[in-house]
Amino acid sequence: MSSGSSRLSISAVVISSLLFVSLSILSSMAEATTKPDEAAVQIVYVERPEAEEPEAFHIRTLAAVLGSEEAAKDAVIYHYKHASSGFSAKLTQSQVEQLSKPNIFGKSHKGLIFVGLGSRVFFRLYLVGPTASMDPGQALLESWGCELTSQERNSDLPNCLKGFYGRSLSSDLMFCVKNSETANRLLEDLVLEKWFSTDSGAKMDFKLRRPLEASSNASSSMMSEISRNLKPGLPFIQCDSTNICYGARQEQSFSEFPPPQVIQSRGLYAREQKTETKSQLEPSSAVNDLVMDWNPRLMLSNLSFLEQKIHQVQDIVRSIISQEGRANELAAQQQLVTADLTYIIIQLISTAGTLLPNIKNALLSATPPVGQPGVMANLPVNASQKQHEVLPMELAKASEYDELIKDLNSGGEGDELIKCLNNSVAEVSESIPIEDHDIKDYDDGLDGENLPPGSYEVLQLEKEEILAPHTHFCLICGKGFKRDANLRMHMRGHGDEYKTPAALAKPSKEASSEPAIIRRYSCPFVGCKRNKEHKKFQPLKTILCVKNHYKRSHCDKSYTCSRCKTKKFSVIADLKTHEKHCGRDKWICSCGTTFSRKDKLFGHVALFQGHAPAIHMDDAKVSGTSDHAQVGETTNGMVANMGYNFSGNASDDAQSLDIKDVDDGQGYFSPMNFDACNFGGLDEFPRSAYDVSESPFSFLSTGTCSFIPRNSEN
Amino acid sequence: MQYHSKQEETRREGEAMERAQQQSSDSILATLSVDLLIQILDRVADPRDRKSWRQVCRGFLLAEALRRRSLRVLRREALQGLLRRYAACLERLDLSACPALDDHALAAALAAGAGLWRLRSVNLSRASGVGWRGLAALAKACPHLEAVDLSHCVGVGDREAAALAAAAGLRELWLDKCLGLTDVGLAKVAVGCPALEMLGIKWCLEISDIGIELLAKKCQNLRVLDISYLKITNRSLQFVSSLGKLEDLSMVGCSHIDDAGLQFLNNGSNSLQSVDVSRCENVTSSGLISVIEGHKYLQNLNIGDCFPELAPLFLSKLNDLRDSLTVLKLDGFQVFAPSLKIIGLNCRNLVEIGLSKCKWVTDEGVSELVAGCVNLMTIDLTCCHLLTNKALAAIGDKCKNLTCLQLESCKLITDKGLDCIGTCCLNLEEIDLTDCTMTNAAMKYLSRCSELKVLKLGLCDKISDEGLVHIASNGKKLRVLDLYRCFEVTDDGLAAIATGCKRIKNLNLCYCTRITDLGLKHLSCLEDLLDLELRGVHYITSLGITAIANGCQHLTELDLKHCHLVDDAGLFALGQYTKNLRQANLSYCQVSSMGLCNLLSSLKCLQDVKLVHLTRVPVEGFESALRASGGRLKKLKLLTGLRHLLSPGLIQMLQAWGCRIRWVDKPLNLVP
Repeated sequence: MSSGSSRLSISAVVISSLLFVSLSILSSMAEATTKPDEAAVQIVYVERPEAEEPEAFHIRTLAAVLGSEEAAKDAVIYHYKHASSGFSAKLTQSQVEQLSKPNIFGKSHKGLIFVGLGSRVFFRLYLVGPTASMDPGQALLESWGCELTSQERNSDLPNCLKGFYGRSLSSDLMFCVKNSETANRLLEDLVLEKWFSTDSGAKMDFKLRRPLEASSNASSSMMSEISRNLKPGLPFIQCDSTNICYGARQEQSFSEFPPPQVIQSRGLYAREQKTETKSQLEPSSAVNDLVMDWNPRLMLSNLSFLEQKIHQVQDIVRSIISQEGRANELAAQQQLVTADLTYIIIQLISTAGTLLPNIKNALLSATPPVGQPGVMANLPVNASQKQHEVLPMELAKASEYDELIKDLNSGGEGDELIKCLNNSVAEVSESIPIEDHDIKDYDDGLDGENLPPGSYEVLQLEKEEILAPHTHFCLICGKGFKRDANLRMHMRGHGDEYKTPAALAKPSKEASSEPAIIRRYSCPFVGCKRNKEHKKFQPLKTILCVKNHYKRSHCDKSYTCSRCKTKKFSVIADLKTHEKHCGRDKWICSCGTTFSRKDKLFGHVALFQGHAPAIHMDDAKVSGTSDHAQVGETTNGMVANMGYNFSGNASDDAQSLDIKDVDDGQGYFSPMNFDACNFGGLDEFPRSAYDVSESPFSFLSTGTCSFIPRNSEN
Repeated sequence: MQYHSKQEETRREGEAMERAQQQSSDSILATLSVDLLIQILDRVADPRDRKSWRQVCRGFLLAEALRRRSLRVLRREALQGLLRRYAACLERLDLSACPALDDHALAAALAAGAGLWRLRSVNLSRASGVGWRGLAALAKACPHLEAVDLSHCVGVGDREAAALAAAAGLRELWLDKCLGLTDVGLAKVAVGCPALEMLGIKWCLEISDIGIELLAKKCQNLRVLDISYLKITNRSLQFVSSLGKLEDLSMVGCSHIDDAGLQFLNNGSNSLQSVDVSRCENVTSSGLISVIEGHKYLQNLNIGDCFPELAPLFLSKLNDLRDSLTVLKLDGFQVFAPSLKIIGLNCRNLVEIGLSKCKWVTDEGVSELVAGCVNLMTIDLTCCHLLTNKALAAIGDKCKNLTCLQLESCKLITDKGLDCIGTCCLNLEEIDLTDCTMTNAAMKYLSRCSELKVLKLGLCDKISDEGLVHIASNGKKLRVLDLYRCFEVTDDGLAAIATGCKRIKNLNLCYCTRITDLGLKHLSCLEDLLDLELRGVHYITSLGITAIANGCQHLTELDLKHCHLVDDAGLFALGQYTKNLRQANLSYCQVSSMGLCNLLSSLKCLQDVKLVHLTRVPVEGFESALRASGGRLKKLKLLTGLRHLLSPGLIQMLQAWGCRIRWVDKPLNLVP
């Protein structure tokens, strides 16, 4: 075994955007053979049930191996809670093996879960039985007729398999393919009905075994080399940085469109078609067709399949009810139900996604855990082209979608998700009438405050979302950031693949070709004038406005000025502004009130009859006598120059502000961004309006934002 | 609009008083009752006659005092006595020409005339010595004060404005070029004087949008507002547009204002009658269209030097104003014949048009214009180089009421063109022919216009005595005559002018190098002469100056620059006779420190004096002369070299009195 790998103490490296990773231990086989008892830092990814606290679950998982919860707590170095679920701990090789044994969690993690993520599809296979003795990943490759020489590395894989990353644990196969074409081919080989139709507790036997067996003999001589190539002890997924798609890659276009339903559809068709041929290219064109034209037959089959699935879940739940008592089995079954329901939800969303090609953009942006980054970048072009024809249909579809969700609601689990979905549906249906409007009407509307009610979309964030300190999280270490840019800078430390210009580039807003939807925000505080329930509702312009408004109006003022000890603020920027002039109130009214700003004094004077600004006697003396001659002499010059001092005139400013507002409206913000972690850990680097508000122009937006609340308070 | 009282001057002479006292009490005139005297007085219009009236006797003086409503004070010493005498009935007081007026003098005078109950208007323009104490005293002494003019008092700031704000009844206030004024001062005025109707804050560079906003909120009665050259933005106009009674808005040279701002004015109030947006670089026709749409009764539109070309839409919009628009100024535009034709068609009631420095103004265009606008009285064609006699023929043909014609630098116009004007426009009062190629024949044609008051012939070097004889033959009403660089003019021509044009007030003879003392002696019979410019007339000596000083005792301005032969004797004469002399340019004259000292100490009205290159005056001479001026000087021009030679105390003292010194950066050659 290579000495290089044995030197690795942390054997798990990068994983990008991964949802539903069930327990998978990243262990080094090489280490295991050489130093079985030496403890090393291992990163363990677990599939965590929705309901459980991540830390508690991690500890419980580890306690099963280490013996006690205390020991587990000591061993854990870090909990990964946001992007994916897992922990890092110092473990010996034997402990790793123990952890990786599937029976720790009973039967629950048997099955195939695949999740589309941008251009890639992740597969998780659990192999039980005779296949465990060989490397299934290699076997799979062999079954496709691909040969890997010992010199080839993952990155040099043949084109058809480029992006195929696989690695087997003792009995599992986890792999990822890059594009949907490969995914389709995979799915044709793997007969999926078995996975879902049989009792999930039953043993896995799937047709993959056939090709595996067929090829096993032929490839046996190569096995050892290839398995070394694939570095079985190393992370089960190695991400090529070029494949980390933040949605900026236009050229991939529709082939990568929404993988979930594509795969599903192919999977379903596989039953009927029984395609055995391996050199077909038609699936990819079929994919395109699927995307372009909605197929009601497909939809029907999808739905009936889901129905079937729900019945299965019902059965399991019934069995739980009947066999009360046995705690171990109960927990396992609960997990099973959770997994199944999650799957159902994903299927529903993707099915709905095929239904609503036009709203998808809004939907996906509103539901980041489900959406794919690539979609946002690619969809708008076509979507906007087709927009007008499809528009009447959309309403019907949206309501259909709504019903679907309601159906799902009765299923019971996944409340959080369903709520979010409902939200997003509400938004979608709200957004539909807007598309009728000629957006140009608002382009020149200098004052966003005059928007007629109903001409804009209203979003309402929850209190927790508003007060969340961070909005961007690292998928690897879970660290939170306020700005996307900071996150990108941070990511550089995780490897060279994050240092490419593409990875560092700011996610561009491709929606420019699409008419901007005016988005305004509502304060979650009921009774507030900024709340959408209020009779004289005045919407907030940007997310930053919402944040500042909420903090100023509905939160405690926790920051106290250190100088005067009396003034309190809830927004730290306000405090800083105040501290700049605290104790130096120079604008005084005749009534004795002091002001720190001239415009405030004048506003006060305008408001109260008979009040007038007071004059500083010292100042007056100075201005009264000095420099008359010089002032007089230079007057001409001053006036000549006067016009040029402010070459950037007011209208320019106004314009830039305006543009920014529009940007805000387009920001892919959704209330679900903050739920991303709860849902499953797929964080698609939400390109929310925070990007905008914290961009270099943020001071402008602060200006505009702060203006609105002031008005309202007056 | 402008508050500049046109009341006649009061000239009070000490001897006259004595003579009046010596009148025998049993004179028949003394028996007439006061009301009868007042009735007689009402029929005496001429100020000079009124002066004679005052000098008749004490009774007549009393009657005059009871009748007098306005007073213009020329000497500080007389202020107190005058106010005491006229306090009862005086309504308008002009102190703008009063030298060395300071807080103390003003307060003392107001105290002397205690109960200036009827005083409504005070002009303190250029009274740079007046501060907040004086203004506070003024506001206190005159409860009915309605109008105050503080324009060009560069020292006026917020405190002064605050003192003035105590006069709550103020309706009219001019604060042009009060450089110390800020938003706070304006706010004081706005809060203190809510009845304000007219306000000028031109050149008050410290004022910003915030001040204008408060002003518009507090003074809703504003009718006239001048915000020229302020650093204000469109936001100000948004608030200005809320002034429902605004009739006259001047915003010359507000470079931050653009069309978006003007659109605020289109708010349906329909009140504006006069708009001046000249030199607003960012204003274009679309902004003006919105103004025209919002204000249908616009009479006066000045859009000079805004944007280069007239948009057709704007011209057609002028049709909306066809009944009301009387004054249109388009200075600096590119105006083609079709545009002028449309103006002629759309603006039939136009009385005044300004096309100064417009490009592409042709005979055809002017013909089309006057064909439509037959009521034109004032036509400004300055620097319209393409015009020929045909244009003048068209003007003469159509505009019979023409009173003012500006033709400066229209080089293609010849005598023949003026023939048409002279025959057709008999009401002509003012004509500017500067830099035109006119000859004496043109003067012959113009002599038909008996109403002529202003005649400018600068740089017309072919005009000679013969031409002046023509002018003098029918120039009884001539008040202003400009003969700048008319080299051919000699003493004989001046003799003709002096006999024919007795009422001349302003006479410019600069660089008419053939004039000698004899010519000045002829001019000395022009009693009304106020302003005489003799720059570069080499041959004149102190003799001529003495004659002028003796004859033209009302002289207020005199330019003797480069009159190398004028020496102390001339200055002595000026100091003795021209007591009203306010402005003098003595640069390059042969004067010594003696003459200078005498002049500056004896002329109690002298406020502006230029003393450059007086090679025969030593530093001590300047020092003593300036000390002798006693704080009356407001403007002084000296060589930079003197700056360090003069004692700092003196310079400080001058500046404390409100004197602005201009230092000319030229080499200093002093007598050792």
